[in-house]
Amino acid sequence: MTHARRLALAHFWIGFIAFAIALVLGVWQMWVRSPLPAPFLTASTYFSSVTAHGTAMAYVLTTFTVMGFGYYVAETALARALPAPRWAWTGFWLALAGTLMAVVTIFSGRAAVLFTFYPPLIASVFYYIGLVLVVAGSWIWCVLMIVAMGQWKGANPGRPVPLAMFATVANAVMWLWTTVGVTLELLFQVIPAALGLKAQIDVGLSRTLFSWTLHAVVYFWLIPSYIAFYTMVPQAAGGRLYSDTMGRLTFVLFLIYSLPVGLHHLLMDPHQSNAFKFLQVALTALVSVPTLLTVFTIGASLEIAGRLRGGRGLFGWIGALPWERPLVLATGLAFLMLAFGGFGGLVNMSYGMNAMVHNTSWVTAHFHLIFGGTVVIMYFAIAYTLWPSLTGRAAPSLAAQRLQLWLWFIGMLVMTLPWHYLGLLGQWRRVATFNYADPIIAAWGPWVIVSLVGGLILLVSGLLFVRNLLQFAIGRASHVPAEVYATAVHPPLRVPAALNGFRLWNVLVLVLMLLAYGYPLAQFFIIDPPGALVHRVDQRR
Amino acid sequence: MSTDPLDRPWRLWASVAILSVFVFSVLFGFVLLPIIQGRGAGLDAFESICRALGLRPGSPAAPQPASEAKAQPTTRVAWSAELMQALDRPSAIGAQLAAACTACHGKDGRSVDPKLYPDLAGQSAVALYKQLNDFKSGSRLSAVMAPLAQPLSEEQIVAVSAHFAAFPVRSLPPAQMPAPSEAIERLVARGDPTRAIAACNACHGEQSGGPPEAPRLTHQGAQYLSAQLRAFKSGERRNDIYSRMRNVAAVLSDSEIEGLAGFYSTTFTY
Ligand code: HEC
Ligand code: HEC
Ligand SMILES: [Cu+2]
Repeated sequence: MTHARRLALAHFWIGFIAFAIALVLGVWQMWVRSPLPAPFLTASTYFSSVTAHGTAMAYVLTTFTVMGFGYYVAETALARALPAPRWAWTGFWLALAGTLMAVVTIFSGRAAVLFTFYPPLIASVFYYIGLVLVVAGSWIWCVLMIVAMGQWKGANPGRPVPLAMFATVANAVMWLWTTVGVTLELLFQVIPAALGLKAQIDVGLSRTLFSWTLHAVVYFWLIPSYIAFYTMVPQAAGGRLYSDTMGRLTFVLFLIYSLPVGLHHLLMDPHQSNAFKFLQVALTALVSVPTLLTVFTIGASLEIAGRLRGGRGLFGWIGALPWERPLVLATGLAFLMLAFGGFGGLVNMSYGMNAMVHNTSWVTAHFHLIFGGTVVIMYFAIAYTLWPSLTGRAAPSLAAQRLQLWLWFIGMLVMTLPWHYLGLLGQWRRVATFNYADPIIAAWGPWVIVSLVGGLILLVSGLLFVRNLLQFAIGRASHVPAEVYATAVHPPLRVPAALNGFRLWNVLVLVLMLLAYGYPLAQFFIIDPPGALVHRVDQRR
Repeated sequence: MSTDPLDRPWRLWASVAILSVFVFSVLFGFVLLPIIQGRGAGLDAFESICRALGLRPGSPAAPQPASEAKAQPTTRVAWSAELMQALDRPSAIGAQLAAACTACHGKDGRSVDPKLYPDLAGQSAVALYKQLNDFKSGSRLSAVMAPLAQPLSEEQIVAVSAHFAAFPVRSLPPAQMPAPSEAIERLVARGDPTRAIAACNACHGEQSGGPPEAPRLTHQGAQYLSAQLRAFKSGERRNDIYSRMRNVAAVLSDSEIEGLAGFYSTTFTY
């Protein structure tokens, strides 16, 4: 087994173990919020659990999956050995040590601040240091991805970088930009407070810095799914990628328009002005461009596949697609969830409607649908696609994989659709228990129970996923690694330098960030508002 | 490397496209929208643009509401980082002032008669400071404590609070600890959502994220605790910010008050 494959397996497994544990916690949280009496419930277990669930799902599962997938792509798409594998392992161990440090701190009850921190709440410093180590590990990955692409370009002057690698590096570059915000918040505000060096914290500043990270981090999680859409799905469907250029444009646009837009997470915050909120919401709207490009390009690629397989008529090609293949099935289900989730996203980014759903369950339901749904179902499909080549064995049962994907899709809809509805009824988020004796709140009860049933289906699906991966151990050995990457209808022979690297786009991101975040951050130093008192959750005064 | 003439248009047109979207959004959001909104609110263009940019306070879409209301504060305490730090530092002044308190609260802050006087030893300095300040301002009524607190200056209140907080709590023999009933334990650890009671320990627990002024309850005399809960319940004591304790106590039954006071008068900690 090559280094990259061993790396990929190690990363995927850490991510998936964290995922399985977090899933159990998630179901328990749903149970606690329902009218049914739940065990182990105390004021602090609930918030510790939510912190652990969020940290594991949003930071551990995602970061490890993105890294593992990137190492795989760097080796297979570029067809050359990974540069500096020792550094890659260093990154892995750093991130793993950080994960363990954070998790131990949470489970000792000293970090119930939820995974987005919420200063002036301050947890034990070990929680934050653990997360910084995870990020540091991922930075090593970013550098390795950029170096791998640079070396390949040096060895292949003038040739276009394979799309899968171009997209992976786009994600690495974006992640370096993304993490600046939260790193500044942690290093200059939160960690000094956790160490007792600071008694006050400027919450407006820390929320603004976190918003810098908050939108782009979601695209960091999402991009592996898009890489699969563009480079693997057309192949799995038996067709070709409709346009390689569209793919490059899409990833470049994600890089640009995921960063100067974070203020849309602060629409109800008083410390940012209307004009800058408007500006960033307008830039947010441009994310629709790469999204629609993708829907169109992948739709066209699948249509090519369907027609090659004998599909006729306006819609006949859809039925002719090989839906029995897990990757194709997952793509179809992911697109459906993307449609629902995208609609919810439009509500969230509209100032007036945001005022109604702000701080309600609507928001939680939205990000579960779009991240837990669209993104994570593609993580499953990616794992199923790569596992034969990672383990050298064929899947013993595709039916079990399909069942798992269907269960995930059904569970996600059963859980999140009532949850959205509860948000519209006014159900609060970040709350452990409800007064179901109140007749208005009692009417929510049945819907919360439906959501809980959805959560249980997701738990079954998640455990089945882990079992399906373990089952590869009994699959028959397959020594012919299947081709996973799709070729384009017109494979590019030469692409403009702008679509073969990131120099131009980095300059544009820098300009946009200065314009969109310059004053919103600078104002805190010009006006110098009073800070909030640090509020420790790991000890009492 | 990008000397290829094919690449130049990319650089130019990508920048033009991205910056023109940006300029359009700025014109719309920074100028046009505030002017139109401001007109409806009776603001001139300059004022509404300044408000939209956050250079002046207020919304560009609404005239600033004028408030004439005079609020009567629950308490006159205001927290600051300096105050919190000062409360962490016991001083000689505190020890001197404490001489006036020992007759009731004991030399080491352990009450001479826990039935009548609360323990101050090991109590959080923040809580002590707030209560003394409230006795002084009249926010918390006590015929005994008010005349004692009134002559104290701000610095003296800080000093005497830091002084008593530094003593270890009273040591209680384990024999004094009856096993709490399940219902009381549930109130302490989980509250009662059907009556909108948050868990006591959400605010009073060892690692709670509750309000900074929430006092430590354990090791305190049961009679004192139940008297306070009854005072909150009747509204006789009303110095708790946002009515946090009055809301809780109002829906506790008398037997629950006794049970909770008994629970916290022990060494049980959570
Ligand atoms: C004559 C007896 C007496 C003396 C002397 C006395 N106290 Fe008190 N103290 C009380 C009583 C009684 C209460 C309870 C008041 C109530 O029930 O509201 C009390 C309550 C307090 C409380 C509130 C405790 C809590 O947990 O809420 C503080 C703080 C306090 N005293 C500080 C002092 C300080 C400081 C001094 C010295 C300057 C002092 N006391 C002197 C009798 C006394
Ligand atoms: C929302 C937070 C919160 C909850 C929940 C809460 N408390 Fe309190 N409690 C406070 C605060 C804050 C104070 C101090 C009030 C003040 O400023 O004078 C207080 C004061 C008290 C006091 C007076 C102590 C003294 O030394 O004077 C008692 C007794 C008490 N609480 C008991 C309870 C019990 C029993 C419960 C559970 C049924 C409970 N509290 C739940 C916040 C809370
Ligand atoms: Cu966002």
